[in-house]
Amino acid sequence: MAQLRHDYTRFKERDVEVVVAGPEDAGTFAEYWQDHSLPFVGLPDPTFSVLKLYGQEVNLFKLGRMPAQVLIDKAGVARFVHYGHSMSDIPSNEEILALVDEVNSSGAPVT
Amino acid sequence: MPRVSLNQIAPDFSLPDFAGNTVSLSDFRGRRNVLLVFNRTFR
Repeated sequence: MAQLRHDYTRFKERDVEVVVAGPEDAGTFAEYWQDHSLPFVGLPDPTFSVLKLYGQEVNLFKLGRMPAQVLIDKAGVARFVHYGHSMSDIPSNEEILALVDEVNSSGAPVT
Repeated sequence: MPRVSLNQIAPDFSLPDFAGNTVSLSDFRGRRNVLLVFNRTFR
């Protein structure tokens, strides 16, 4: 999360809204957002509705959910999907920013 | 378990954010790209 916070301005410049969903409740989200001054949209999802919709992987051995990232363009199309296989399996900001540049320059039709 | 397909319309959702404002993926359609991050835990 700190990684994304660090480059948030660069995401914003590229018309990217960062939306973070997680299984914690609203109170935990609010506290975490305040403590870390996070500029993202924070979506508490204690019933796993969005998590299930997007199939966030559950690693039974580690008894937790693995991180996942989905880049959705302005037309609502998923342009990049990454399901982590471990907690540290997160694409770099540079990788995501390069993809955003590609998406923004591809002139995908906006519907 | 379902997964999101690349280059297909991403499934829409509506959920209140932690401040109680409803956020829908479709709200961003035509305006912003969205990086949807599934966080495991804050702890």
